[in-house]
Amino acid sequence: MDIITQLQEQLSDMAMVAVNTFGPLQRDAPPDRLSSSYPDPLNPNPKPEEDAKPQAPAQPGAAPAPAPAPPPALPPQPPALDLAEHPKAMSHALVLAAKRFDALVAALPLSSEEDQLKRIQELQAENEVVGLELQKQLEAAELELKQVEALFNEATDNCINLKKPD
Amino acid sequence: MATSAYPPPPPYYRLYKDYEQDPSSAPEPPPPIDGNYKVFGVEREINEVLPSLESRQLYPKGPNIDFKKQLRTLNRELQLHILELADILVERPSQYARRVEDISLIFQNLNHLLKSLRPHQARATLIHMLESQIQRRKQAIEDIKQRREEAQKLLGESLLVLDGSQTN
Repeated sequence: MDIITQLQEQLSDMAMVAVNTFGPLQRDAPPDRLSSSYPDPLNPNPKPEEDAKPQAPAQPGAAPAPAPAPPPALPPQPPALDLAEHPKAMSHALVLAAKRFDALVAALPLSSEEDQLKRIQELQAENEVVGLELQKQLEAAELELKQVEALFNEATDNCINLKKPD
Repeated sequence: MATSAYPPPPPYYRLYKDYEQDPSSAPEPPPPIDGNYKVFGVEREINEVLPSLESRQLYPKGPNIDFKKQLRTLNRELQLHILELADILVERPSQYARRVEDISLIFQNLNHLLKSLRPHQARATLIHMLESQIQRRKQAIEDIKQRREEAQKLLGESLLVLDGSQTN
């Protein structure tokens, strides 16, 4: 693919990464706590945990104390991980895409328009000269081919004529 | 013009019935079009010019644009604006529209810059084609010269052989 198309593709990649950064964040965002008078949507039953918390540091070996804590914690865990990892992964991708864009820009073989037009004129002149030379060589070669063919015909005629007295 | 969803192929195929036996019986290919032409109901010109961005142009106008520098600057601006959008969404979410507009403006400018590089690419392709044509022609000249020399050498050798057999 030519480099300009690659640059355009890189640009659309960056746009896609940007959209994919904000989209899932808005889609999967957990509800926000509106005021302290409303219950916290992330933590609807804080009381049993508060009872468990002072007990756990006091009795670290107590098996029933940590038991209520893990079950409520398990269900929200997978989305919480995604929500933390997702922006990191996406911003990583965005920076990578931006760096690739910069690298492609650096690799652009740019030259000014006048330079290009001058080079085209030089090449056209050279093409004419080479074309004439080619034409000359071709004509000379065809001439020689005709001469060789004539000689060959003459030689074969002589061969046939010489072979007659048999 | 064709109004059905699946129009039949154009009827000129009948003119090429005897092309295998007599290539000259079929009509010549049509000459290149001059002026405007219609494709799928849309009228287009031959020399399509990129419409300018006018007031929405972010990079400085002028005869000589440093494409690399402008592309890099716009890239940095884009990253900054995306970061700003993230910020705004956290602090003042109702004002996202302006930021999104800014980001799309930057994208438009970037695409415009890249499209305006296409004529340069076309000229570079032309240069490349001319160079390879010159290369091929030079190669052909060398080949012809070489063959001619070989033929002359063979003729000379055969003359020597004939002369040798004659004197013998």
